[in-house]
Amino acid sequence: MALTITCPICGKRNGYEFRYGGEEKGPRPDEKDLTPESWCDYVHMNKCVAGVQQEWWFHRDGCGSWFTIFRDTTTNLEKETPEAKE
Amino acid sequence: MKDIKRYSPVEFKVTPLKIETRDHWDVVMEYHNEGDGPWLVDLSHRTRLDLQTGNLDAKKPFGITIPATPGQSVLENGLLINRMNGIQSSIYHLAGDAIEMPGETEYTEITEASVFLAIMGESVFAICEKLSALDFMDKNRETPFLYQGPFSHVPCQIVTLSREAEKSGVVLTCSRGYAKVMVDAILHAGEEFGLKPAGEKRVTDWISSL
Repeated sequence: MALTITCPICGKRNGYEFRYGGEEKGPRPDEKDLTPESWCDYVHMNKCVAGVQQEWWFHRDGCGSWFTIFRDTTTNLEKETPEAKE
Repeated sequence: MKDIKRYSPVEFKVTPLKIETRDHWDVVMEYHNEGDGPWLVDLSHRTRLDLQTGNLDAKKPFGITIPATPGQSVLENGLLINRMNGIQSSIYHLAGDAIEMPGETEYTEITEASVFLAIMGESVFAICEKLSALDFMDKNRETPFLYQGPFSHVPCQIVTLSREAEKSGVVLTCSRGYAKVMVDAILHAGEEFGLKPAGEKRVTDWISSL
């Protein structure tokens, strides 16, 4: 199944126009009391969800926007909400 | 002191009939054997500006209101203004007398950084269809409108100015370094439709007819 992604500026486009930016992991951890281990976890560790996850994408060949979408990693289809089911 | 010279990144392998020197550019007004269309015109000498500010809605470049929605464009007095996103607009000077660079720091002149081409004629969309998956004839959008996307696999800004039969045409910009391959790709795609290079006069006439 070809991946399509909905850019907030340009609308629905071919997935090949975009660059994947990784899972959405929430805000950057507070630097106070931040240990090298917890920083390493934040940067490198992923949940690798088999299902719907929120992730970052960059519209490389288009408007240059960074944004998040929800995608079902088992079907490679974009979802409107994290709870969306087939 | 020696005069400066500005060079277009585009060079057509056809003989110019009439050349005009303008603002240090050599502008070809007409080529030999331009045919009956469609045409490809190099507009790289035409001034292009980038306007970027957090307060874009309050700006009126050259007295023209910027469209509210990204992807919308407006053509007024030979100036084409395209809303790119919430904070950015591109401005193309398509026709008329030279424009004066606005003094505000939000404006950046990007003329020399990009290549600027016009493709005009009835079969323009058949040619574009061979080079991009974007729908330049989208009936749900009012002309002129902007696409930011791949054209011949190169990130471009492409504006459909008209989709009315013989007035049909698009203008596109991309990074200057792609000029030669972009022109080769467009001419190759347009070969079966009789696409030929043309001088600036074709665009001036076209813009005034819109």
